[in-house]
Amino acid sequence: MTKAYINGISCISAQNTIDDSWYFDTITPANGDYFSAIEPSYKDHIAPNLIRRMGRAIKMGVTTANLAIIDADAQKVDAIITGTGLGCFEDSERFLLAMLDNNEQFLTPTSFIQSTHNTVGSQIALIMKCHDYNFTYVHRGFSFESCVLDALMLFEEGKETILVGGIEEHTPNFVTLNRRALKLQIQDTTMPIHQSTSNGVQLSEGSTFFLLSKHKSDKSIAAIDGIKTLYKPKTSEDIFEKLIVFLKLYNLTLSDIDVTLMGFCGNQHFDKYLNELLPKLTTNTAIASFKNLCGEFYTASAFAMWVATKLIQKQQLPQSIVIAGSEPKHIKHVLVINQYGGVNYSFMLVSQC
Amino acid sequence: MDALIEKLKKQIIEQLNLAEVNPDEVSADSPLFGEGLGLDSIDALELIVLLEKHYGIKIEDPKDGKVIFQSLRTMAEYIKAQGKG
Repeated sequence: MTKAYINGISCISAQNTIDDSWYFDTITPANGDYFSAIEPSYKDHIAPNLIRRMGRAIKMGVTTANLAIIDADAQKVDAIITGTGLGCFEDSERFLLAMLDNNEQFLTPTSFIQSTHNTVGSQIALIMKCHDYNFTYVHRGFSFESCVLDALMLFEEGKETILVGGIEEHTPNFVTLNRRALKLQIQDTTMPIHQSTSNGVQLSEGSTFFLLSKHKSDKSIAAIDGIKTLYKPKTSEDIFEKLIVFLKLYNLTLSDIDVTLMGFCGNQHFDKYLNELLPKLTTNTAIASFKNLCGEFYTASAFAMWVATKLIQKQQLPQSIVIAGSEPKHIKHVLVINQYGGVNYSFMLVSQC
Repeated sequence: MDALIEKLKKQIIEQLNLAEVNPDEVSADSPLFGEGLGLDSIDALELIVLLEKHYGIKIEDPKDGKVIFQSLRTMAEYIKAQGKG
């Protein structure tokens, strides 16, 4: 399958990733069981007449999409592909609450129009005047992975430049409901996330966009070699076997991987298979976590890909994310192994180009 | 009439999330659409709902909106004419 060259990136997350100079130097801790995204002043990025109708997911998405395009110095894109687990949750909630509060009368159009999952992708298209391919994947823990897979296939079909992103927003009501369902838990930060004995996660949100190109250029930071998703694997051995086969597709073995980013979320049940995999992966590679920085959400794997791209760009592995192994001399191949809810597992291979 | 115009101004700014707009800079006679506040067709629907929700006025023919929503003053005059202001 065709490689995808990453020419531009931008990320809004629970860390100050929107600041291009940030590189794991100042770590912002969670607020209890929740990480809020560190958002920029949107007035600097979006026209005021557009901002007033946008919920946070749209503002985060439009801003990061725009910055990724600027980062890549791209003039146009052939496709816009977005992934989100919950979509524009704030506007969905606002519309439903208005229905309840007003006895299903006096419903206004704005929050309804803005509430659909594909609003972010469509707003980006309207601003960019891009009338080409526009698709939104709402596949829970595979939402972002589906975007990347689609982009790789579109390159096979002849597209040249594709904007890909993962977006998630939460509302106070959503956090409260998850808290009541005991899905959230404050993590013990004195121990690495993979050793957590918690039964919950620290929820979070964010938006990460990548400007991908079929062709390598002087703007190319790294390349996505490939991606693989596994739904409800039966055992960790099953995951390991499929990982070996996945790497073999790119003529690689585990010993070729310089850094493995693992999606430990702090929930001991969801992290079980990743913990079982850990001893098999630590022979030659440094192991790092990322959800201790970005929290857990459906499209956290987009944050992981941002970290992988930055590691290759900076050639430096920050100690704040290392959980095993030593710093490699050179970072050529970064492997992301993510899991969401112990159900959605994925491999993403990002390499120097 | 002036009190109703001021009330309408605040309701429109809140309903349309015009956080950037300074109420003192919006005159009673400046156009709501195009120039002036720069509202668009989605805002027109919001204004129709606003009139129904806050003043109990239902605009049956959307063509009437062109006249009613010219400015804050025309809106206020229409509300008064309906005996609702």
